[in-house]
Amino acid sequence: MSFLAQTATTGVSFPTLVFTALVWSALVFALVVLFLPDQTREQRARIKSLGTSGASAALFFAIWALESQIADVSVGTGGRPGGDLVEQHNWLASFPITSSYHLDADGLGLALVTMVAVVFFCTALAAWRNDRHVKLLTVSLLTLETAALGVLVSYDWVLFLIFWTLPVVPVYLLIRAFGHGHRARAGVRYAAVILVSTALLALAAALIAFQSGEHSFDMGFTPVSVHGSGNQVAFWLITGASLLVMAVVPLHGALLDLEEDSTGVLSVVFAAVLPSLGAYGLIHVAVGFFPTLGSRYSLLFAGLAVVTVVWAGLAALRADDLRQLIGHVGTVMMGVVLLGVAGHTTVSVTGIMFLLIARGLVVAVLMLLTSAIQERTRRVRISQLGGLAWQTPYLAAFWLAAALTAAGLPLLAGFSGDFLIFTGSFPAHRWATTVVLAGTLLTGGVLLWAAQRIFLGSSRDVFVRVRDVGPLEVTFLGVLLAVIVIIGVVPGHFAGLFQNGAAYILFPGTS
Amino acid sequence: MADPNGTAVFATTLPTVLLVALAGVTALIGWLRPGLPASFHRWLSSIALVGAGAAGVITLDGLTHTHGLGLAAYAGAVVADRLGVFAVLLLCATGLVAVLTSGAAAHRLGPRLPAFHALVLTATAGGTVIAVQWEMGMLVVGLGLLVISLVGLVALEKTAEAPGEVALRALAGGGVALALLLYGLAIVYGATGSTDLSATAGLLVHAGPLEGLGLALTVLGLAYLVGAPPLHHWVLQVASASSGAVAGAVVSLAAAAGGVALVRVMVSGFSTSLRPWVVLVAVLGMAGCLYPALLSLAAGGLRRLIGLGACLQGGLLLTALVAGGLGGDYKPAGGVTALLFALVIFVLSVQASFQAVARLDVDGIGTSLADVRGLARRSPTTAVLLCLGLAGLAGLPPLAGFVARILIAESAVAAGYAWVAAASVMASVIYAIPAVRWMAAILVEDDEQPAVVPETPRLAALVGAACAAFGVVATVVAGPLLYAANQAATALR
Repeated sequence: MSFLAQTATTGVSFPTLVFTALVWSALVFALVVLFLPDQTREQRARIKSLGTSGASAALFFAIWALESQIADVSVGTGGRPGGDLVEQHNWLASFPITSSYHLDADGLGLALVTMVAVVFFCTALAAWRNDRHVKLLTVSLLTLETAALGVLVSYDWVLFLIFWTLPVVPVYLLIRAFGHGHRARAGVRYAAVILVSTALLALAAALIAFQSGEHSFDMGFTPVSVHGSGNQVAFWLITGASLLVMAVVPLHGALLDLEEDSTGVLSVVFAAVLPSLGAYGLIHVAVGFFPTLGSRYSLLFAGLAVVTVVWAGLAALRADDLRQLIGHVGTVMMGVVLLGVAGHTTVSVTGIMFLLIARGLVVAVLMLLTSAIQERTRRVRISQLGGLAWQTPYLAAFWLAAALTAAGLPLLAGFSGDFLIFTGSFPAHRWATTVVLAGTLLTGGVLLWAAQRIFLGSSRDVFVRVRDVGPLEVTFLGVLLAVIVIIGVVPGHFAGLFQNGAAYILFPGTS
Repeated sequence: MADPNGTAVFATTLPTVLLVALAGVTALIGWLRPGLPASFHRWLSSIALVGAGAAGVITLDGLTHTHGLGLAAYAGAVVADRLGVFAVLLLCATGLVAVLTSGAAAHRLGPRLPAFHALVLTATAGGTVIAVQWEMGMLVVGLGLLVISLVGLVALEKTAEAPGEVALRALAGGGVALALLLYGLAIVYGATGSTDLSATAGLLVHAGPLEGLGLALTVLGLAYLVGAPPLHHWVLQVASASSGAVAGAVVSLAAAAGGVALVRVMVSGFSTSLRPWVVLVAVLGMAGCLYPALLSLAAGGLRRLIGLGACLQGGLLLTALVAGGLGGDYKPAGGVTALLFALVIFVLSVQASFQAVARLDVDGIGTSLADVRGLARRSPTTAVLLCLGLAGLAGLPPLAGFVARILIAESAVAAGYAWVAAASVMASVIYAIPAVRWMAAILVEDDEQPAVVPETPRLAALVGAACAAFGVVATVVAGPLLYAANQAATALR
């Protein structure tokens, strides 16, 4: 029974449009903003209000979809596609390989939808502090939100590819407008990453749609059986595309550049949201379509996880630039996600869902804190900071909470993810799990060490006039932290949904 | 196929006759009464194009009596079928855009504006001949009429030095293309003993080297129209030298007619079962995609970038043509459907881009990177339209060019040409990078220059904006558009 059905008793059935509203509401607000002037302070405030409203609308529908699916867990459909919220309409029906407007979500999709909606909502709030290129920032952020949510609920290849490629223009425009350093190079590199991954996915889609004999671009039929070596080719095309966007070692350079050369709210979206889409592609599409191959190559994923965690962990240890540090921490957490993929058990994949939410929220908090520190001190190098806790105790507290989440402290969101991934992966990959676990602890330690260097020590004269976080910052940081705590304290509320989703991905066709 | 009768003659020739007749009237009035306002000629030409399009729709109604097969006239030399109707409607729409936006070129054309309208009508008429022909002679007549009209359109801007020279070069290029086509068709005729394109496929089953040469020359001749290498230079020259409005008219009309000619001649005439020409088209398609895409990385001007984008579209059309037959599972690969769908999108994307350039022409803004940097501050509407045009050419989502590219790649994979599909996808990726960079320069970068007061005539501005908006809307209505393309494609099966 859906969330809506529990309350509606009129007996009149309306077409379900929750996913449509979820995906397009942000873009509708973006289109409205596009035609508004942004010359005066009031006009800019109006645009910011609309930006926040667009993100709020998406968040509202994300929570609706999540709770609706959680309500359906008891009847066994929650977390699996094909529930009450599914939307499917003919679109490109006159082609030998048909395509439809098919929106749906499994547990993994809903987990990420929630994370993305929360992060964009907080980003929209954080964007109130910006007064440059307001229209461009708002329209681009809302378009990016539509793209990210679209990727997560698309169950048709053509739709999926449209949303997957959609970030190219907004990401490039944003980095050109708000970036610093080698922003043009960083923008081109990341645009190339998205475009190349699109090309790989498009070829995989063509191969699957034609050679599986289904003659459909629909992504609802899993697992896929492609003739000959087609299975292998399609699997590796999708995996390659996903790993590119996930930015795991050694494919992490473009995203790190982007994070390092971006400022303010951009770095939040770039670091928290975009790599998660790659993880979704790897787990939902590559492993979901080819579970046997996902299991066969689990050792390779485990190896990649170890390389990623060790490399990024050591890089984090050496990092002096705050954004670089957070970028490496995000990469380490993606390494843990890879270990979960290698584990290939319902437990480890359930853990991935928890960890992806935690990763997105933690990285968002850390990036927002970095922006706050940079705004106040004009510095992002850890070696140039110190003793800030005297002036900014709340800022330090938020940083500490995020660091502890990244380290996997119980009662915070990171714990459920880490615990389930390590438990689920240990039987199959003992050494890899041990190394990745050590890397995770090291990363948590690095963040705490960074906290010590940034916030502790004697107060410095240059920072005497630095203010602590204001009401607006407390609001968006508080929202992010609240979600981290809620998931950490009551993981059971989401566990059924995520377990069903994991079972659907690994064992499609079973009820 | 139905027997020749009055209805068939009427259905196959009415659009062409209407266009040629009103082209003559427009030219004559323009010559006898030079003082008449430009709007008079514009509306006269529009009526001709709408009338020709309406004739196509009436033909479509008539086709229901032949179970959708077609109406043949003049011993099968011309046939009105669903593909013909689709092509006539596309050509008339393209011509209509050219006519309605001619105001943007008024300052360069001056008193030769009536001639511009007349030549657009004759070029469209040439295209309609190509659309309904099933015979080599008619094909050459249609192609000749089209090429001469297009060269004339470029030459009309003779007040500027560059267009005159470009017209001469385009004339030479067109002559070479026509000659290649004629030689190719002559060889095919020599091998088969028939000028009937509906019969050549059966007669060419055991094609030898000579027949292969004939097919190759024909393919090269037709590739000229869509701007695919090696005869693509004319597109770049026209894009660089002519005003935006004229370049848009010339390149889009050539692409529309060329796309239809490729389908008509290569799929129904030479059959996709003849491997030699399919391989040649595959190679040309790959070159047509990758070469302009690589050149675009070093494009120093907006006109050249758009010109290269137009050439890339030509390469993509050839890629779709490769999949014109059956797929690996003996079901239609969908190449013709994808080609016709893409043709509509590409033609309007090219028009949208050139119409944005036409706005820059009218407003006195150059087309180098320095000129358009920060354009969004000076002229927001032009900047948005320009970016939509570039995004359409690059096939960036959510524009319909993206859907068209996926369909093309899919059909090429289905036909067993995954390597051609991979080349087309990679070319799109490569072209998207400079396109996005230019868009960023236009939208993001700051500019201290004063705002520009838009001077583009309202009608031209509206039609240009409609072309750009079509790229977005077409994604939403892709279903009906694809249905129409599929119906047209079934005429060849």
